[in-house]
This record gives sequence, C-alpha cells and structure tokens, in this order.
Amino acid sequence: MQSEQPREQASSPPGPAATVSYLAAVGTALPGDPVDNATLARTLGVNEEWIDVFIGTRTRHFARDLETGEVRWSLADLCARAAEQALTASGLAPHEIDFVVMGTATPDHLMPATVNHVADQLGLDQIPTYQLQSGCAGAVQALQLGHTLVTGGGHKAGLVIGGDVCSKHLDLDRDLSAAAPSDLVNYVLFGDGAGAAVITSEPRGQRLALSGVLNRFTGLGREPGQVIDWFGLADRHDDRQAIREDYKAIEESVPVMAVEILWELLEDLDWTPEQVDFLLPPQLSGRMTRRIAEELGLPDAVEVSCVADTGNNGNALPFLQLEALLQKIGVGQRALAIAVESSKWIKSGFALEKI
Amino acid sequence: MHTIDDFVRLVRDELGMPLEEYQVAADLDQLPEWDSLYLLKLVTALEQATGRSLPVGRLLEARSLGEIYQLAAGT
Repeated sequence: MQSEQPREQASSPPGPAATVSYLAAVGTALPGDPVDNATLARTLGVNEEWIDVFIGTRTRHFARDLETGEVRWSLADLCARAAEQALTASGLAPHEIDFVVMGTATPDHLMPATVNHVADQLGLDQIPTYQLQSGCAGAVQALQLGHTLVTGGGHKAGLVIGGDVCSKHLDLDRDLSAAAPSDLVNYVLFGDGAGAAVITSEPRGQRLALSGVLNRFTGLGREPGQVIDWFGLADRHDDRQAIREDYKAIEESVPVMAVEILWELLEDLDWTPEQVDFLLPPQLSGRMTRRIAEELGLPDAVEVSCVADTGNNGNALPFLQLEALLQKIGVGQRALAIAVESSKWIKSGFALEKI
Repeated sequence: MHTIDDFVRLVRDELGMPLEEYQVAADLDQLPEWDSLYLLKLVTALEQATGRSLPVGRLLEARSLGEIYQLAAGT
C-alpha cells in the first residue's frame, strides 16, 4: 500500500485536502564545536589530506569529547534541544503537541525508547510516542508517520524528531592500522546531531506544505549495504565488527537509486523538473553528495546540503537541510528531498511547497 | 622500510592484501582489491613506518604500488 501513497497524494492539489500536512518549524542541535579534518586525522592517526580528497567532509560534531572520551550529551539531550527549538519557533504551546515520533539508529538504550526520555525532558506527558529503528531514511519515515497522524489520525500537531550519536563507536584507543576498510571508513564519515520539526494539520508557523512522501523498502533478497551490530552480555566479547559498510555497493547503488526516487516523486506529484526550486539530495559525505547532486541534474534547483559541515549524522540530516531550506524558500516555491538508506536499501523522499 | 621487499611485506601484513611480486609494477586498476580505503590504510602504514607525512595529492598520480613506494621512500 505504501507505494500507492504518493500517487494518491499527487492526485489531490495542495491546499485544504486532507492528504497535505504542514511543517510549522524546524529545530536542530549539533554537539560541541565542529571537529575539523586536521583534528580528526591527528586523533585517529590517519592522513588528513586523504579525508579531504576522498570523503570531502570538512567538519563534524561529536557528543563525545575527543580528548577525554567523556560523553557530554546523550541522544535524548540533543533531540530534546532540537525539539524545544522547533516548538518555540512554531509558536505552538506544549499542550498542543498530540504525539512524538522519533527515528534513530543509535538509541541511548534499547529500553526505555529514547523518545520517551525526550518527551520527559520536554515536559510532555499522556501522549502517544513512537520510535522508529531507522537509518538514513528514518527522518522521512518519521515525517511520514507524523503526516499520517495529522492527516488521518485525528491529531492536530506533533513533534517529528531524528537524531544519531554515532560517536558511540568512536573508539579512540583503537589502533586503526588493523581495521578492515569496511570498518575504517566509518571513522571518517560520521558525526552526531539531532533535528526536529513541528508537523500540523493546518498551516501554522512556516506554512511548509508536505505534499508527498515516499518511503519504500526495496531490499528483497539483497545483502545489506550497512550493518550496525549490537552486543549483549552473552556476546559482548565476540570479535564481530560493530559497524560494517559495503562502501563499494553504496557508491554504486545510491546515485542510481537517488535518480529513481527523483523521477518517481516528480511523476507522482505531476511536477516538472523545472518546477523544483530547491533540491535536498542524500547526504552521505561531501564528495558523494556533490556527485549525486550533479547526477540528479535538476536544471533550476538550488542544492541544499549540510553534510560537508555536519558529517553524516544519519537521522538528523534532513532536518539540518530543512533548517537551511527555511532560510531560502519563498512563498510558492517548491523543494524535493531525497534520502537513501543503504542498510537494507530503502528509498525515501518528500516534497514541500511553501504556501 | 628500506627496500622494496620491506614495502611488499608491509602491504601484505598491514593491508592484508595478497600481493604477488609481479603486481608491484602492475597498474593499480589491475589489483582486484585496490581502492581508496586501501590507499588510506597504505598511507597510514607508510607514515607509521617512515615517521613522515605523505602527500596524498602526489600519491594519486602514482599508477602502481611501485610508484607509491618510490614516492614514500623519497627516491
């Protein structure tokens, strides 16, 4: 049924139709000062110039202190800060929030779900909360669930949150010279952060109409592009790689999938490429995102990216892009966002129009 | 690292790449496993072995492991 959803939405014009929801405001949180490539290279004992050339990411933020290893912020801390910022900017009162949806690949605990700690920090109570176990498509999945809850679920407003603390796996004592390439690459790709949006059934705040969402599993029979393992008491000493990234498969498939997502969204929305004013492409790394944006080839669209400055912080990325978009988008302008989750090959994207 | 033999040993041991002698002069495209991450591993290992920082921009012009060795050894 999910694959039918954008088609149904596209058949209804944006406006009073119940298939459109609205983003009233966006908030973000990046922990601490940006960490540049010189600092990261020195800390990890790898070559700085290689990170510049092959990753193309300039800075990232870590919740963990690189000098001491001390954890300065939890995922819940970052998500609550982003959500509070979004809530304040939206002009909605906390009692108007009917639900909280959150996506993450790196929860603080398996239980309680981090979303409930976030709600607690925000002073929210007696409302439904949902946490999606998700990677790079997680923000879109959270937006889709929030969209469904305000368009057909009887709710008027909710918080949609995405965040990741990848530095949980940043083992500073480790000798990386023995690390497998599929392990090593993660040290130079990722960062930490969180983002949030207030989603509403009626136009409020920024009045950004969410006129289409695509979220589809396409990984039948396909090996995962990325695996993040977890360990319990019985297997914590196993010599398994905590994160495995099939970067060759990702480099090959993600640009192709991004183009497929773009054309599917355009077709479902009945938009022409020329009608897209802003493009929010997948945020893998500075270098990969540059390449994908070029391959997407939208003639008149302004690219809105953040990964070169924030690092790949997973579920936070689309919110960081949305925050930058809000500084630029004018009434009547349109934006398309594309995200690919290479874990088990999920296609996702969404369409926005400022009214 | 003083000789090409030391270099070959370093590639085999530190990178885990099964390198035959004749592959030292082969074009990098002919090495089945070679990619940018192996370059990072090699640069890291060479920097540890030589105690000197390597210019990745110049290494990118090298077309074989032998050429990388020459750049790293400063010959």
